[in-house]
Amino acid sequence: MKITILNGNSDNRKFDDYRNNLVKMLKLSDNSVAHFKLKEMEIRHCRGCFGCWLKTPGQCIYKDDSHAICREVINSDFVLFAAPLVMGFPSAVLKIAMDKLIPLLLPYIELVDNKECHHEKRYDKEYPLIGLLIEKGDDTDSEDIEIVSDIFVRFAIDFRTSSRFVMQTDIPVQEVSDEINRI
Amino acid sequence: MKLTVFNGSPRGKKSNTAILLEHFLKGFMETEGNSYELEYIVNNKDVGELVEMFKDANNVILAFPLYTGCMSGIVKSFVESLKPLYGKQDNPSVGFMVQGGFPEAYQSRFVERYLEKLAKRLNCQYLGCIVKGGIEGIQGKPQFMTQKFFYYFYELGKVYGKSGKFDEEMLKNLAKPEHLSVLGRLFYKFARLTGMANIHWNKQLKENKAFEKRFDRPFT
Ligand SMILES: Cc1cc2nc3c(=O)[nH]c(=O)nc-3n(C[C@H](O)[C@H](O)[C@H](O)COP(=O)(O)O)c2cc1C
Repeated sequence: MKITILNGNSDNRKFDDYRNNLVKMLKLSDNSVAHFKLKEMEIRHCRGCFGCWLKTPGQCIYKDDSHAICREVINSDFVLFAAPLVMGFPSAVLKIAMDKLIPLLLPYIELVDNKECHHEKRYDKEYPLIGLLIEKGDDTDSEDIEIVSDIFVRFAIDFRTSSRFVMQTDIPVQEVSDEINRI
Repeated sequence: MKLTVFNGSPRGKKSNTAILLEHFLKGFMETEGNSYELEYIVNNKDVGELVEMFKDANNVILAFPLYTGCMSGIVKSFVESLKPLYGKQDNPSVGFMVQGGFPEAYQSRFVERYLEKLAKRLNCQYLGCIVKGGIEGIQGKPQFMTQKFFYYFYELGKVYGKSGKFDEEMLKNLAKPEHLSVLGRLFYKFARLTGMANIHWNKQLKENKAFEKRFDRPFT
């Protein structure tokens, strides 16, 4: 299986180690893994110009690392979004990268499940399934996890796919790896 | 009443957020003695300055567009910068304004829960969240299509300027449609089938000489 990991670590060694172990484990079970350390990449935040739909359709008008990310994501079977929770939500580093995935959609809107407006897919294929790996902060409670999980499900709907799990780094790495291998 | 407003749109002064805020603030200023300062998160290189503004404020409104079902990356950065204010006892009251491109207010209800929790985290009195969908494209729309909800923003601002509160009933009315009605769904299907829904985008694609490329798939 082809897996992309978008790693939105802000400043956290423990989280780094956990994720590196996960990457190792996933590779051992014959997955190909593209692992993006977002903090070290050049990603300009979305300006809301819609140039990626209306000027250079399919790609951000700025030639930053979001192009490489979009390429990997759209060619993956599964994308893992990973970040520590900061102020009760995955890091801004990760969210900035998530905003830059909208070139994978078209400007055109359709009703999803005959119910809600969302954008049409740009690529004529199944979009990768997604999962979220989070590390709790000192201030995280179960309500936070619920809110973050629900928002992640909404993100999945926007990206015309579905969320397979939201998991926390307080369980053994093996379990996360197993969960991904079951997809 | 003194108010500090943060516009969290990446489009800054040219944003839809700015337009809605303008109407809200016009209402707010109807009460004598009221004043406000308005800051654009996107323009601000020095986050420390924004944090200071937040810290010194009595009343804050944070307004932003919905991005992939929640706040944008830059608004999340701003929120992260408020971390030092954790546990302080005299943080300002906060109200939020979230608007999105899709017509249903429902799409903003998830981030609304996050915002309420955020207020709690910061020990801020939570005033509520103004939610409105269907906002993309308002800048080109004729007046008769926008004047009703612009007026709602004005009225909300007016009540807020007087009482320091958001009027629940107005919030509910402004948010409509919360979900698409059966008729609303039919309308969107019809608009899509006839191509009516795409006029807004196709016009811009043609102006940009990118219409032929609109379905490009550069990454396969
Ligand atoms: C990256 C990106 C993601 C967006 N995601 C959503 C969304 O999930 N739901 C929605 O209703 N609108 C979404 N929009 C549309 C904006 O919320 C809408 O255009 C808004 O009116 C822009 O406001 P502004 O001009 O104040 O920035 C998105 C726009 C961009 C650029």
